[in-house]
Amino acid sequence: MATSKEMGGTHAESHASHGSAGHLHGEPYQPVFVGERRRQLDELLTRYPTKMAALLPALWMVQEDRGWVSESAMAEVGEVLSLTPAYVKGVVTFYTMYHQHPVGKHFIQVCTTSPCNVCGAEDVVNAFLKHTKCGELGVTSDDGRFTVIEVECLGACGFATPVMINSDFIESVTPEKVPDLLSKLP
Amino acid sequence: MADVKTINLTIEGRPVAVAEGTSILEAARTAGVLIPHYCYHPALPVAGVCRMCLVEVEKAPKLAPACATSVAEGQVVHVHSEKAREARKGVLEMLLINHPLDCPICDQAGECELQDYTFQEGRKDSRYKEPKRFNPMEDFGGDVVYVPNRCILCTRCVRYMDDVAQDPVLNVSERGDRAYIGKFEGKDLTHPWAGNVVDLCPVGALLSKDFLNKARAWELDRTASICPNCTQGCNAIIETRDNVVVRMRPRGNPDVNEFFLCDTGRLDYRWMNGPNRLELPAVRNGTVLVDADWDVALGAAATVLRGKRALVLASPMLSNEALHLLSRVVKATGGTGAFRVARGPEAPLPGVKDLALRSERAANVVGAEKLGFTKTDTPLAGMRDGDVLLIVNHALTEAEIATANRASAVVFVGTTLPAGLTNVAAVLPITNFAEEEGTFTNLRGRVQRFLQAKAAPGLARPSWFVLADLLASLGETTNYFVPSEVFAALAASHPEFAGLSYDALGLRGLPVVGAAQPAGAPS
Amino acid sequence: MGYPHAPHARETVVLSKYFGDSEATTLDGWRKRGGYVALEKALGMTPAEIVGIVKDSGLRGRGGAGFPTGMKWSFMKPGDGKPHYLCCNADESEPGTFKDREIMRWTPHALIEGCAIGAYAIGAETAYIYIRGEFTEPLQRMEAAVREARAAGVIGPNAMGTGKRVDVWVHKGAGAYICGEETALMNSLEGRRGNPRIKPPFPAVAGVFGQPTTINNVETLAAVPHILNNGAEWYKKFARPDNPKSTGTKLWSVCGNVARPGNYEVVMGFPFKDFLYDLCGGPLPGRKFKAVIPGGSSVPIMNMEEAEAAVMDYEGMVAKGSMLGSAGCIVIDDAQCMVKQIARLARFYAHESCAQCTQCREGTAWTTKIMERIEAGEGSMDDLDTLLEIGDSMTGKTICVLSDSCAVPVVSGIQKWRHEFEAHINGKRCPFRAAAAA
Repeated sequence: MATSKEMGGTHAESHASHGSAGHLHGEPYQPVFVGERRRQLDELLTRYPTKMAALLPALWMVQEDRGWVSESAMAEVGEVLSLTPAYVKGVVTFYTMYHQHPVGKHFIQVCTTSPCNVCGAEDVVNAFLKHTKCGELGVTSDDGRFTVIEVECLGACGFATPVMINSDFIESVTPEKVPDLLSKLP
Repeated sequence: MADVKTINLTIEGRPVAVAEGTSILEAARTAGVLIPHYCYHPALPVAGVCRMCLVEVEKAPKLAPACATSVAEGQVVHVHSEKAREARKGVLEMLLINHPLDCPICDQAGECELQDYTFQEGRKDSRYKEPKRFNPMEDFGGDVVYVPNRCILCTRCVRYMDDVAQDPVLNVSERGDRAYIGKFEGKDLTHPWAGNVVDLCPVGALLSKDFLNKARAWELDRTASICPNCTQGCNAIIETRDNVVVRMRPRGNPDVNEFFLCDTGRLDYRWMNGPNRLELPAVRNGTVLVDADWDVALGAAATVLRGKRALVLASPMLSNEALHLLSRVVKATGGTGAFRVARGPEAPLPGVKDLALRSERAANVVGAEKLGFTKTDTPLAGMRDGDVLLIVNHALTEAEIATANRASAVVFVGTTLPAGLTNVAAVLPITNFAEEEGTFTNLRGRVQRFLQAKAAPGLARPSWFVLADLLASLGETTNYFVPSEVFAALAASHPEFAGLSYDALGLRGLPVVGAAQPAGAPS
Repeated sequence: MGYPHAPHARETVVLSKYFGDSEATTLDGWRKRGGYVALEKALGMTPAEIVGIVKDSGLRGRGGAGFPTGMKWSFMKPGDGKPHYLCCNADESEPGTFKDREIMRWTPHALIEGCAIGAYAIGAETAYIYIRGEFTEPLQRMEAAVREARAAGVIGPNAMGTGKRVDVWVHKGAGAYICGEETALMNSLEGRRGNPRIKPPFPAVAGVFGQPTTINNVETLAAVPHILNNGAEWYKKFARPDNPKSTGTKLWSVCGNVARPGNYEVVMGFPFKDFLYDLCGGPLPGRKFKAVIPGGSSVPIMNMEEAEAAVMDYEGMVAKGSMLGSAGCIVIDDAQCMVKQIARLARFYAHESCAQCTQCREGTAWTTKIMERIEAGEGSMDDLDTLLEIGDSMTGKTICVLSDSCAVPVVSGIQKWRHEFEAHINGKRCPFRAAAAA
């Protein structure tokens, strides 16, 4: 069982290694909410009586567009929804599905909460760590293709062990199925 | 006003009657019962997160958070029952398991609510055997530094910046026991009123950089005073150690500044300890100034002033008492009095009614005007040939020094003598406002007392005392031994101040007659 | 039905009738299966009439709290001039529970219909379905179904041509179990951190956007059209004769060490022993059942003596020391280590704590650390006392019950499987891990 590293760890790490602006070296930040995305956001805004209510949907749009939510993107979302960047950041850091730094091309999330745990979920995790050559949870493989993490209950307990790869939801994964699953990924 | 229903209940055996809608915590306060709490603060929206204020309410199935529960008719509340104590003990234990327990090096020691309640009701030992959570200290900008390891996540700072300062630059980041107070890179605590988070923080998580490692809380002497830095008149506490002002903090006044002090007021106090103070009176002897006795110096000053027209350069930092006596000097010499006030940008605290760092940066502009002094940017403009200049606590510019040197004579009453004055006949050293007692009148006409926080250097005397003596040497009878007597004389001779006295003013102050009352203030 | 298996003869298939039937996901397919008849009927009734029928039926919240739905709806005051809101809680994150996902991916229109009727009944023109971000397929199906229903005028500004507005919107969560707590859900919907709110004010007075709001679970709302179609009396028949307080059918999500995991729909009052051994196929070959958590991980763990004597309704589960909860039934066999699983559950709660309340924020993490230390063979006897005292600190003292939920399995575990804890402590290792390695 993985240790509770995330409890008792330091958050200084995330500051240090990912830079402040959060975009590619030397390139200025390109806004997300232009053109079609802006139109989509405007449509979403009609569904709620406040701009703030569009925050989670807007952050999803950022992540779908860029693969993660950078600090520059947080500032942009804040600007668009009339929220301070600090406020947006407070929300982003609350929800585990928003990535605050880039992840592997295939972000593999394995449920290991008790219902899956008693069905061998940890063996599935180990199989992924082995076959992706990641070796360690949360660390992206050298070729940038894979990141493997454990997640909490995915709500498919009768289909143990469920695994999400990015937003693809795959049921009933066993260690034996892992190599084949991985080989089919682009 | 519509009638508000009164609710009767019992708290810790004491009968309490409060308005409907009052929280149990506030109701207890009226009965003199302190319910321990962290996250609750009367100036902030209720959060109910720290769980310290859980009280036992008879017939209720669960303990109730007193800050978030309204009183109900016939409630019987126990604050110190076994269940309530156990609950508090549990909260205190939880707050300390990841705490560094570094009181010996923490500024908050001696004024720390975690220390206080733990000492009162907490466990005497820790049974936590696991590694402690660690996060490094962070500079939040402005005067504030954040120490996450001591943070109890009461969120007062976040709610203050959101609701009172209305500048949401702080957040709670992450979740669970990984949570900490965060901010966005590049967006700092630079709001002019941000320093209040340090006071609001019950523990040593938010600290003042200015005060860092400077003094221990129990070494400080505390004096009720008024912030002198602008016309708002925020009530303050001057804290000194060994006669040196080391910190300024707000004092609560619901009619002026609620609980808050702006960063300018907080941090601009070093001048109160200023070097180069005048310690002895002096008189001119030929081309030089020589130290003299008070009697001699006063005599020389009176000689210069008698029979001449005096142009008085007053200061809006002088107390009402000093200004009252000074106005009598002006009258006695048939002269005029003026003052200049420095200005700066106004900075409101939006969440509090009528509270701002005011553009006029001196405490007693209104007092000076009410006592007959003219506010002008060119106070020496009216100087005529043969005029004697009486400078009282005014900081002269270079241009003003040049003009002053053209006066027939100068009597200087102040704390520091500027270089370049060539014809000073007498120097009378006085206290600065931290070294004397008096009153100021704020921009809304509120008269407020300030008390003496430190001793004056050398033979410097209170400004009102010196001016009373000067008045006496000009022939007017004065018999003032304490500033309250001067104030009484002021009140007797100025209809606006009628009825006011030190006793009446207390430490909250009162408005002058005819001043607009803040809504809801007691009359 | 016992999806993914074929329905068992002893199931009573109402909500799960079309699980596995892909045609049921479309508007036409749903209409063919009798869909939207109830909505049409409802829009022609008064809200008060609908509330009355639902009250009469005895339907109780299927998310875990079991609060009478009709009564909850009646808290919404009509004619107050304020916009009312219905929130459908599709955040399904309680470990062991996976029924709402099935309702949404197989019968999305059932949920839309239930939401529309519910919204109308409480005077709301807008319903938000808050679906957890991980539910990719349910999100896709629900979004598609909403688009279809709007395009066909079933919902929207002129619902079924009645001139009444009923908007249903899908809102995607982003990874937080706590957003399944109704007030945290509202905060999340508003674009805030998913922090539960102190009550009062109650949602029906000041909920989402400060307006009167009702929050209902997916399964609860999906039952409403059936109740309107068949009547309250029909629904009340699905109950123990001696317990009219628990009525209707319930979807039980069965998972863990059992031969046939999946969702099963049975009437209230079904005998639990039969359920586990007959419908669900009993334990895996060569294993014996050791423990059952019947209602999602936040309810007390039952030993087999308790479980086999229990009946499956709200009161029946309480009588045997547990709760029906969300009916997320986690089955644990004799090859599993109770200490390890309880430690894993504690870690779940610690991960999900929102961080507001001191006891939860610190207590869930502390509990986890002690449990993991015991599992690693480094525990001591006084740790057990500490765990129980921490658990007491965490119970009944916080804004929401996540804190209490973390304490529950720890208390059950020490009470009923103390010998396993002691074996770890005395043997300085996990006996199950040691046995597996041997």
